[in-house]
Amino acid sequence: MSGAPKRVKEGVRTVLERLVRASAFERILISAAALVLAVLVGTVLVLVSGRMTTCSTAAATYFGVGFCYDPVTVFDRLFFGALGDPMNPLFRPLEGEFAPPFRAGWSPFNTAMGVTLRETTVLVFTGLSVALAFRAGVFNIGTQGQLIAGGLASALGLLSLAPVVPGGLVGSLVLVPAGLFIGALVGGLYGAVPGVLKAYADANEVITTIMLNFVAAQIALYLVSNYFKRPNSQVVETVPLPDAATIPPVVFDPRTNVSLIALAVALGFAGAIYYLLGHTALGYDLRTSGLQPAGAEYGGVATKRTIVASLTLSGALGGLGGAMYVMMILGNFQIGVPAYGFDGITVAILAGNNPLGVVFAAPLFGIIKSGSIVIDTTTSVPPQLVDVLRGLIVLFVAMPEFFRQIGHRVLPEESQTPGGDGDA
Amino acid sequence: MTSAVHLDGITKRFPGVVANDDVDLTVERGTVHALLGENGAGKTTLMNVLYGLYEPTAGQIVVDGTERSFDAPQDAIDAGIGMIHQHFMLVDPMTVAENVTLGTEPRKWGGLAIDRDQAHRDVERLCDRFGLDVDPGAPVAELSVGVQQRTEILKALYRGTEILILDEPTAVLTPQEVEELLSVFEMLTDQEKTIIFITHKLGEAMRAADEITVLRDGQTVGTVDAGEITREELAEMMVGREVLLEIESSPADPGSVVLSVDDLTVADDRGVDAVSDVSFSVRGGEVFGIAGVDGNGQSELIEAITGLRRPHGAIELDDREITDNSRRDRIEHGMAYIPEDRHERGVVMEFDLVENGLLGSQHAEPFAGNGRIDWARAREHTEAIIEEYDVQPPNPDAEAASLSGGNQQKFIVGREFAREPNLVVATHPTRGVDIGSTEFIHEQLLELRNAGVAVLLVSSKLEEVRGLSDRLAVMYEGEFVDTVDPETVTEEELGLLMAGERPAQGDEHR
Repeated sequence: MSGAPKRVKEGVRTVLERLVRASAFERILISAAALVLAVLVGTVLVLVSGRMTTCSTAAATYFGVGFCYDPVTVFDRLFFGALGDPMNPLFRPLEGEFAPPFRAGWSPFNTAMGVTLRETTVLVFTGLSVALAFRAGVFNIGTQGQLIAGGLASALGLLSLAPVVPGGLVGSLVLVPAGLFIGALVGGLYGAVPGVLKAYADANEVITTIMLNFVAAQIALYLVSNYFKRPNSQVVETVPLPDAATIPPVVFDPRTNVSLIALAVALGFAGAIYYLLGHTALGYDLRTSGLQPAGAEYGGVATKRTIVASLTLSGALGGLGGAMYVMMILGNFQIGVPAYGFDGITVAILAGNNPLGVVFAAPLFGIIKSGSIVIDTTTSVPPQLVDVLRGLIVLFVAMPEFFRQIGHRVLPEESQTPGGDGDA
Repeated sequence: MTSAVHLDGITKRFPGVVANDDVDLTVERGTVHALLGENGAGKTTLMNVLYGLYEPTAGQIVVDGTERSFDAPQDAIDAGIGMIHQHFMLVDPMTVAENVTLGTEPRKWGGLAIDRDQAHRDVERLCDRFGLDVDPGAPVAELSVGVQQRTEILKALYRGTEILILDEPTAVLTPQEVEELLSVFEMLTDQEKTIIFITHKLGEAMRAADEITVLRDGQTVGTVDAGEITREELAEMMVGREVLLEIESSPADPGSVVLSVDDLTVADDRGVDAVSDVSFSVRGGEVFGIAGVDGNGQSELIEAITGLRRPHGAIELDDREITDNSRRDRIEHGMAYIPEDRHERGVVMEFDLVENGLLGSQHAEPFAGNGRIDWARAREHTEAIIEEYDVQPPNPDAEAASLSGGNQQKFIVGREFAREPNLVVATHPTRGVDIGSTEFIHEQLLELRNAGVAVLLVSSKLEEVRGLSDRLAVMYEGEFVDTVDPETVTEEELGLLMAGERPAQGDEHR
């Protein structure tokens, strides 16, 4: 009864309670501290693995010991490389050198920055998808599948529409919105499936959405390799979309496959979802269902329809992400879609399931993705080690927020009415 | 002579709340001591401190003249303290003797097997010694609530309890069972056992206790001799001001039928019929009360009427069949509902009061025409409720979870009455509400009635249903045993009806 286990339990409680009460500012500080901690732990890992590798020349020498990988370079590439090296090496404020902080010749529209923003765009959609479902109390692990379904549908739809639509600007004005609409529609329908299963057949959405991820990937593989495969291609992919059906870049080099228009649309959706949740009756229903299903039922919320609605909307956001991926990044549909849907879960957790928070959480993941490409191309650090560093950052940064959400669910029942003479 | 229990300056803080603030309590050996106070006054917290469930932030616990510090309930049990919670901790399929000896069973064959006969004899002897009427061989599942409670008491006595704490022991009992419990108290104190019981009912404290300690807002108001104080004085100590205890109701002037329930059968969560073939109607301008011991189908009946549970049978509201209509449809057609479980249903704990004020009206004019919520209007609405119903703290941005139970209840009542309803379904409308606000809620309820609204009232407080109702039905095991005139029925008759005795079937009871 007493002794160590009790003290551990008390300790866990105290920490959870503190996390639950943390203000928005404190939460940002905690996330920042977690990032620093992840970098420190990563540094040790890089040094240790650098010591265990053999190389002809040491990349760095610390305390008279040579290391094959230099953590300073690794993290410099990861963070600043992803932004296209904005810092002026002569700008050292700690040493009293106040040269212009930005490097001469640095443009925010460089290639590495392009990759960062491109990844950010898709991650905003998947992050919103997961966050919206979470807020309605539904764990949508199926954003990946909804993204694949939406992306595939949008590619196939555009390919069949393109011949009847004129090219050029007029074509773009028709095809781009049409592609996004098809993506959202099919992604939404694909999300509605687990929604209906949960609402009317009591099937756990975590299980069904995970399974439907595989279903979507396999259907895409089957359809593309059997019916829509680009002839003589080495990979399983469709023929390229006509130029009018891709989202045009604005100021970036077209080869970086990034469009500020797409990013603007993504941010617009973040604002729209924020408005939906906070200022509409549907949003009120969703949030009430998410916080307290019995209370929602009492308040006249049609709980079953709300479950279906939340998964449909969530799927539509995933599908939009897929359409963006197809129309902005690939220019066709290819098998082997990166795990944007799963990254969306971490983005949503880090954002505290707040749609506006997603706008800030997604770029962090965009930077890490883009930065690891930079590390791959500029250092001898193996990609596996970079993956470990990425994982560390994700884990460290997301965990405090994750535990805060757990605390939110666990604690109120235990400690909300300390004087509770009632049935507490 | 040293006191059995002496608590000195107990303070217990929770994050953001001081549940006990420098509370003193002295209980003499062989007496019954009532701990009286409103919900949220800190009574249960104080007893949980004494029982080792909470560690006090400050203060001393002295038991039998020795200062103690309990890390866990086991330490308190070792010191001779036993506690019986509101929810019994009994294993239903096991017999009384097995339950009583659970964990400390007498052994035989060198400790290898449980000596059931010995256990049976031990429990029988214990029953004889304290005059408790319990059959040690009966399975707990077959016992009435009152006997289950006695089994809990036996369990505590078997573990050598000298000081017995009971948390709201009468909340689940019929009036007759309360009488029996009080005579058990007497028997126990005759044998030098000490009893502390928690209650918020004035009458009970005055009848059962030798001394009463009143708590208010986590502080001791005082300790008084139960024989030397009036109900009014005690109420004033509890609330902090003078209160009117009697409900003053005028004769009803019923209009046309508003709610009509026909042959309603409702299953509970396990699929067993909790309500069978109940029919009644409520007219505008009258209060129809349902009395009964909790758990006799009242909850299921109300949930079926309010649209939270699917029944068989027919329900009509204003001559319109609504049996299978949605909850929202009912709200929009003038049904206000004060739910039984305010934490689960009545408020969304993590919403602030503005959001909670909207609950049920989120699709309705004037707050959300065409799907967009007008938060400014919702805020005004909430501020009006807070003002009129004196919700504390008067802060529309406070989370519902941060309010005390009574204030949450006042807020819910205010929100529901503001719907301009034709029918008010009120379950335990004043549960956990302080006496002053209870008075106000009763007045409001009667005012609605006088304005022609139909009121369906369920309450486990007998005084409340009797005082407010114009007609009173008694529910037992899913059926209406009888419908009586609350003016003329006696408390004894009601108690018998609540125990399931049909009228004119003699007065013997189990």
